[in-house]
Amino acid sequence: MNSANVTLSVSNVSLKKVYKRYGSTEIVKGIDLEIGAHEFVVLVGPSGCGKSTTLRMIAGLEEISDGTVSIGERVVNKIPPKDRDVAMVFQNYALYPHLSVAENIAFGLKLRKTPKDRVKAAVDEASSILSLDPYLERKPSDLSGGQRQRVAMGRAIVRHPKVFLFDEPLSNLDAKLRTQMRAEIKRLHKRLQVTTVYVTHDQVEAMTLADRIVIMRDGKIEQIGTPMDVFLHPANTFVASFIGSPPMNLLDGKIRKSDGKVAIELNDGCIVPVPHKDGMSFTDGQEVRVGFRPEDLDVVVNDQNHTAPMNCSVDLVEPLGSEALLHLQIAGQSAVAKTTSHGRSSDMSGIANTTQVFGNLKHLHIFDRASEQSIY
Amino acid sequence: MSSNINNKITGIGQILRKDWQLYLLLAPMVIWFIVFLYTPMAGLQIAFKDFSLFKGIYGSTWVGFEHFQTLFNDELFIRSIGNTFLISLYSLVFAFPMPIILALMFNELHHAMFKKTAQTIAYLPHFISVVIVAGMVVSFLSPTTGIVNLVLDYFGFEKTYFLTNPDYFRPIFIGSTMWKEAGFESIVYLAAIAGVNPSLYESARVDGASRWQQIWRITLPSILPTIIIMLIIRIGNLVEVGFEYIILLYQPATFETSDVISTFIYRVGLQGSQYDIATAAGLFNAVIAFILVYSANRISRKLSSSSLW
Ligand SMILES: Nc1ncnc2c1ncn2[C@@H]1O[C@H](COP(=O)(O)OP(=O)(O)O)[C@@H](O)[C@H]1O
Ligand SMILES: [Mg+2]
Repeated sequence: MNSANVTLSVSNVSLKKVYKRYGSTEIVKGIDLEIGAHEFVVLVGPSGCGKSTTLRMIAGLEEISDGTVSIGERVVNKIPPKDRDVAMVFQNYALYPHLSVAENIAFGLKLRKTPKDRVKAAVDEASSILSLDPYLERKPSDLSGGQRQRVAMGRAIVRHPKVFLFDEPLSNLDAKLRTQMRAEIKRLHKRLQVTTVYVTHDQVEAMTLADRIVIMRDGKIEQIGTPMDVFLHPANTFVASFIGSPPMNLLDGKIRKSDGKVAIELNDGCIVPVPHKDGMSFTDGQEVRVGFRPEDLDVVVNDQNHTAPMNCSVDLVEPLGSEALLHLQIAGQSAVAKTTSHGRSSDMSGIANTTQVFGNLKHLHIFDRASEQSIY
Repeated sequence: MSSNINNKITGIGQILRKDWQLYLLLAPMVIWFIVFLYTPMAGLQIAFKDFSLFKGIYGSTWVGFEHFQTLFNDELFIRSIGNTFLISLYSLVFAFPMPIILALMFNELHHAMFKKTAQTIAYLPHFISVVIVAGMVVSFLSPTTGIVNLVLDYFGFEKTYFLTNPDYFRPIFIGSTMWKEAGFESIVYLAAIAGVNPSLYESARVDGASRWQQIWRITLPSILPTIIIMLIIRIGNLVEVGFEYIILLYQPATFETSDVISTFIYRVGLQGSQYDIATAAGLFNAVIAFILVYSANRISRKLSSSSLW
């Protein structure tokens, strides 16, 4: 039995106008989402935005108030979790404390009255994939956090489900282990190719794991796209400030048009020229927010033709080694610049006394202030 | 050597000083134990003395194990040991699982209102005094006006005076105790069930567990430590069958099955004024109880790693 190399039967998942209400409070507000077979989709958003609720509706642990959830060709709204052929990994691992690691992994198979030799083969396979062999006879209480999470994943993979569901599986681990397990989850997906829906509030996790990221806020989807897509082309200020670390700097300003040229005037009178793009349209005086990622603000000029000098004062310098974070005030608003111009020297006084930063206009973002939508 | 002891004493002194508030809180309980439980133990010596009220506890003459010999030659005492054991055994078998089953059933109720009502109704009998429960049992089972006999009569069965028939004593005693206490005892198990991590059930549901499998494979194993602790306590109290309740229900006609060690002590000691023999019987009772708790605890620690101490 070497099913890890066999292509498994996996399914696409489709959510159509899905709502979840508790009494009169709407938690999930009409989600439309198509997840392809084999795809790794990450739902990301701030705590309380309804990610877990959405995932639990796919699992069948929450009733769907409105709309339809389909797995494969089948609408599963009324189908109990056990018949949906999904496996779920929980944040707190949800291991059975009275069962050994091997028994925990075998739990789902035993419930389905799988023959003993098949159970054993499946447990052995999972434990070798997840390097759990030395721990099979231990109780969960004798395992470290990372090992427990691997047992939880083992329990999911032996079932050969059509869809994997993960709810913040790494949140209880320390930073180092989290990075390690993240890579392990990615490898696992590469190997098994099972459709995966993964919930996290951590944008780094989302960026590194996802084929596609779904950014949620307040029960609604703000943007869906590949990690680079949502990073390079955030659809609105929320996505812009959620994806990327440190987040994108957003500065208030007004559109100024003259002689067919467009520029943005910041609150202190600084002018940020807007390079021409096909199809761009602004009205004079329009209130906007200018977006520069910290990487696109620097104390030295990198590209003479695409630069916007802005006056600033430095609040604080945070050296990170090869990079340094500058906490700035620009036109009365806080901003962060990420720079390498201290040249890896321990002397920060040069960058600490700077009074001007330069924005890279190649990576300029402009958002309408009222609608928060990207307009450039 | 002596410096070692000195160190220890200073060590204890430091511990006391550090947490004196905690020890202050503990003090009333310790005093209560000393005054009401440990001091009276001095009186246990009359089990080995020919006790005379005029000579007092300390003045009476020693007689060794004479009272124990008397007791073990007394058929009535032997009978009371047997009865104690049987009533305890039956109630262990029938009454002990009842609150567990009740708790599991309550846990399956999902209509909040119905669940609360059902629980309240089940708890209520606990708050009725045993005297009243005994009164109820006596009147329900009364041969002339009791509802049970009226119903029996209606269906053409013969009326029976249940409380004078030794065969019925144990079922009546255990059954009515169950009715009175099972609901209340289920609270302990409900609390244990409430402590089970809910995501275990969710995980099991996704893995394909039916309700029955969830009870059997998650709830029961999760509350097993509680069940074992309750069982140890129960076994420790095995020889302490509800003394007042038996006194209230039994009558000479049913002594054959209803007279237990504690009622025997009561009759011999307080009614017959043979304090020394009664004390010997009580001491015997206590030794058995101690052995039972101790062994139950040992066994449970071996088998399941949960134990009282
Ligand atoms: N059973 C419930 N009753 C009422 N509100 C709930 C219930 N479960 C969750 N919520 C609310 O729904 C919102 C979304 O929860 P959740 O999906 O868990 O968020 P997250 O995105 O952090 O996973 C939260 O504000 C939470 O308080
Ligand atoms: Mg959540």
